[in-house]
Amino acid sequence: MIDYIYDGTFEGFLTCVHHHYYNEKAAGIYPADQYQTSLLKPYLSVETDEEKAAVVYAAMESKISEQALERIYRVFLSDLPGKDNIALDYLRMGFKIGGRIFGLHSHPVVFAAERIARKVGYEAHRLTGLLRFSVLAREDESGRRQEILFAKIKPDHDILELLAHHFTDRFKEEAFIIYDERRKKALFAFGKKWYIGGLDPSVLPDADPDERAYRKLWKTYFDGIAIKERINPRCQKNFMPVRYWDNLTEFRCEGSADGVK
Amino acid sequence: MEVLEKLRILGESAKYDASCATSGVARKNVGRMGNATCAGLCHSWSADGRCISLLKVLLSNDCVYDCQYCVNRRSVDVERATFEPEELADLAMGFYRRNYIEGLFLSSAVVKSPDHTAEKMLRCLQLLREVHGFAGYIHAKIIPGVSPELVRALGFLADRLSVNMELPSEKSLELLAPQKKAKNIFTPMGQITDSIANRKELSAGSGKKMLESSAEYLKPKETLDPEGEYPLVVRDGRKKYKEPFAPAGQSTQMIIGASPETDRQIIRLSESLYKKFRLKRVYFSAYIPVSDSALLPSRLTAPPLKREHRLYQADWLLRFYGFSAEEILDEKNPFLDERMDPKMAWALRHPEFFPMEVNKASLEELLRIPGVGAISARRILRQRRQSAVRFEDLQKLGVVVKRAKYFVTCRGRYYGDAELSDPNILRVLQIDDGEKQLSMF
Repeated sequence: MIDYIYDGTFEGFLTCVHHHYYNEKAAGIYPADQYQTSLLKPYLSVETDEEKAAVVYAAMESKISEQALERIYRVFLSDLPGKDNIALDYLRMGFKIGGRIFGLHSHPVVFAAERIARKVGYEAHRLTGLLRFSVLAREDESGRRQEILFAKIKPDHDILELLAHHFTDRFKEEAFIIYDERRKKALFAFGKKWYIGGLDPSVLPDADPDERAYRKLWKTYFDGIAIKERINPRCQKNFMPVRYWDNLTEFRCEGSADGVK
Repeated sequence: MEVLEKLRILGESAKYDASCATSGVARKNVGRMGNATCAGLCHSWSADGRCISLLKVLLSNDCVYDCQYCVNRRSVDVERATFEPEELADLAMGFYRRNYIEGLFLSSAVVKSPDHTAEKMLRCLQLLREVHGFAGYIHAKIIPGVSPELVRALGFLADRLSVNMELPSEKSLELLAPQKKAKNIFTPMGQITDSIANRKELSAGSGKKMLESSAEYLKPKETLDPEGEYPLVVRDGRKKYKEPFAPAGQSTQMIIGASPETDRQIIRLSESLYKKFRLKRVYFSAYIPVSDSALLPSRLTAPPLKREHRLYQADWLLRFYGFSAEEILDEKNPFLDERMDPKMAWALRHPEFFPMEVNKASLEELLRIPGVGAISARRILRQRRQSAVRFEDLQKLGVVVKRAKYFVTCRGRYYGDAELSDPNILRVLQIDDGEKQLSMF
């Protein structure tokens, strides 16, 4: 038994799973930045190997199910400590019993994975709504106006990728950036193509002059739509936790373009 | 008048409309901007805890009608405003692009005449769809009395249409909204149902014929999304027609507490609307006193929020749990019990069905157990195929055990700390039993 340490990528994680089956059984799998080395426990830093990862990936799809693959991936995207071992346990059980793992909702291994996967999926769904773009604009060298939509989010889990499909379809003719300020990385998209990479927000152009007016319009609408006889802040916060409010236009000071970046 | 002023006035005038759904249609971006997801999407929640998904505004609040319950009635002195269709289309696009909203909900007061108003609304929707290439969600309100040609034209641009009942009986309608005739409400409603049923051939205004033809309307079939968690409604045959008529169906709204109807009447009316007109949703809106009319509850009356809540629960029982209106409320019980949800009330009236063995009950039966919902019932079924469900599993399957345990057995064993026949069962269930016990004990 040995602890496997990987570089934090999904391929790295899958490589560790490969080692677990073809090398030495894993006591645990940990991303390098979260691992506490100890003299008593043997560990191995695993170098990510695309081929080994692909083998495990294909095996998950064919021997368990596509749904299981998706569930594992969502667990992997979560921010919870120990997620790697929850995913590993789920995989080991899945390879043993196959596709029927999907229905065993109350088995402790399945329950743990399902719960985390659901949290991640739920946050991604929530943020497709709770995300606000600002229009940034500048003129390029030839004096042509360029506009970029820019949104800043601070999700609990690493869900940028899960947002990509929805927004690239919806805004297929727009260039847009969704910046995860917690993980300092961003989703860049234009014309249905997208990639995820690092971003320094200070290089972005300034907000379009119209932006201020639209924010004010939205804030006015938002404040007016509430029925005074039914005010219910608890209900509001249940649906829209306060930790997301920072980046929501409707909770910012009226008409300001602050905090765009 | 500035757009900001108009938005403030016309947003506030539209806020009493309860409909907010953006569900029922999945569409990729077939235009230049926008798409729709089947499950719907909320973008924000206002201070009253209601979701904001659509930009809900009136095109105008300058009304020629004088409905007693309405904030915009002719005889009251309020600020009046009217959007130009171009103005509103630009505003909606600006909001949509910033991901503030999921689409537009367009309603209006009656300016000059129903047809005049509908033409303006149509113009706005045309601008959105044809000029801006908008492929997001649109909900359009049909004003009673509008001509069938306009209903038809609006239906091809909007995803969902709605005609508001406003009051749950013809008598109340006559009393409080004399200009709105019941016939003018049911005719367009019937036309919409009919058009959705026969998408190819629209027979405008054939309210009566509709009743037979819509009986065969593609019945929504339940299926599960890829995650296997949430039941979605998927319709067959959607792709056959290039320009679907109101693909997300139609809904309506009733005001609760402005008129004397009982809950039983309201639930029965909802049921028949679902059955006859194939409505997707019936919304209830607790009446908030806005006038001193002698015909209405006084201004000091609190809005019946609890009642509205219970009615929605009953509505869920109709739509997702296989209950009939008669089961929810019978002649002896004209009002819903405010102390407990209607499913619990039903279960307590019918102890003969319980306790139910969770490992044997069918889906329909599982759905009758208090504390078991649509999702947990399906999880129980899925898990049962692999292994028996134990009592300890129930919580992990999403069952509210503190309620359900009095109504189930797991592998033959009963886990409740009191039986349903216990005279103190209400106290055990932590339902405030007030001074008197329920009559059945």
